[in-house]
Amino acid sequence: MDLLPQVFSDALLLAGLYTLMAVGLSLGFGVLRIINFAQGEMIMLGAYGAFWGLTLLGVDPIISLPVLVVAGFALGWLIFRGFVAKVLDAPHINQILLTFGLALAIQHIAIILWSGNARSATTAYATESAFVGDVLVVYSRLIAFAIATIMVVALIAWLRWSETGRATRAVAENRAAAALMGIDVDRIYAMSFGVSCALSVATGVVVSFILTITPFMGFPMLIKSIAIVILGGLGSIAGTVIGAFVLAFSETFVSYYVPDGAGWAEGIAFLLIIGILILRPRGILGQTVET
Amino acid sequence: MTPILELINIRVGYGQSVVLQDVSLNLREGEIVCLLGANGAGKTTTTRVVSGLLAPWAGEIRYAGENIATVPAHKRVELGICLSPEGRQVFPNFSVYENLLLGSFSKKARLRRTEMFDEVYGLFPRLAERRKQKAGLMSGGEQQMLAIGRALMGCPKLLMLDEPSLGLGPKIIIDVYEAVASIAKRGLSILFVEQNVQAALMIAHRGYVLANGHIAAEGTSAELRSSPLVQEAFLGKKPSRQDLSEVHRA
Repeated sequence: MDLLPQVFSDALLLAGLYTLMAVGLSLGFGVLRIINFAQGEMIMLGAYGAFWGLTLLGVDPIISLPVLVVAGFALGWLIFRGFVAKVLDAPHINQILLTFGLALAIQHIAIILWSGNARSATTAYATESAFVGDVLVVYSRLIAFAIATIMVVALIAWLRWSETGRATRAVAENRAAAALMGIDVDRIYAMSFGVSCALSVATGVVVSFILTITPFMGFPMLIKSIAIVILGGLGSIAGTVIGAFVLAFSETFVSYYVPDGAGWAEGIAFLLIIGILILRPRGILGQTVET
Repeated sequence: MTPILELINIRVGYGQSVVLQDVSLNLREGEIVCLLGANGAGKTTTTRVVSGLLAPWAGEIRYAGENIATVPAHKRVELGICLSPEGRQVFPNFSVYENLLLGSFSKKARLRRTEMFDEVYGLFPRLAERRKQKAGLMSGGEQQMLAIGRALMGCPKLLMLDEPSLGLGPKIIIDVYEAVASIAKRGLSILFVEQNVQAALMIAHRGYVLANGHIAAEGTSAELRSSPLVQEAFLGKKPSRQDLSEVHRA
């Protein structure tokens, strides 16, 4: 049997998910010029939110998604006002330490509240699958891909055509000039941070019925997001989409075609980070930024 | 009548260094006033203070009689203060059309968007031709037109232009100044910064000369044109012995 269609289908579905996972980080960096190391913890919180919604209330993750996304936005807004806003003009090392500290704090609060035990959100569709021709499609992955695509397309459309989205891009390009247009730069900052957290929470909801849920699940996903964003070029949404596809396709190809590939595939993100930083530090679509 | 803009004893700088020591100036409604001065005299700093990008250390900024020194920059746009900043600062990855849309971001300007588009495109037909072009790919002169057009999109009552002729060829300078003069005819108040003194004094009603963070001279354009201080500093004429002694006394 020819493996290639299966490999392509798997890689495509994964790429959609990776795009949603990394786009929050990309937006946050593009607008605020801060890498939010707590982005992975937002994914983890989203996954737990979906898990508890299903376990305690019997609400399907797809149904609880909108509520959790709004909660993620609110949490992001509060984190920005309470913490991140204080270090906006501080040296990068302060910003990194702050968001890294937030990540550790959130992770340990999760351990205290929910223990370190692994959990999974077992929905009706979690284990269902069907053959399309020769290709096996797992429903949960397909649903994740659909949700991710809808959210990323909505984000891009919002940035492109809405009044506030356009203002957000303007702030990312030149915040002083944006203020001269009558744009409230602080508000755009808080909102972008909120949206970027909301996107990560959505990622968490989507992976809740695919992956195992633990308080530690965020960090590996943060590393992959960073690889994707660096690969595509910091701050470029189109670059992030490309980066997500590159990572997803290389991981899938390695896991299918390299002996014992499933283990090796997890290391590709690191390889890509190192490779791109040496060969083309500004990423595929990135522009150089003066610091 | 209350002046539309009044700076009273403004003192401001960056970090430790003082740029404006003590600057007072005013602008009446419908007036075109130019700020002259050498590099580093504080002209751009003055426009930054009025637009709200820089908070004054001391002094008052009165706009239509109200002190707006603590009003943030984006709210001043809503009040009708628009700046075409130094170095143009257009959004390079945005199209001309999108740059102009951003210019009318404020709620008040959004309502008059169609009307303002017609006006700006009428004033600068070049911008209409290139509306889909990315701003970063346009020539310096076109970017300057865009920066002025973008400021106009905000429906200003007080328009500030920082060096609208900087880096432009002589022909485009004339275009830009013709545009400025026709904007002024609609009763807008204009405060502009200029190195090109000849051009500035041709269209301005009055002017202020900034030197070392002080107002060194002020007067109507005719007065300034004949002032020895201005002639010496900007027009390249060697002052006579008598002129020099006057300057020293001043």
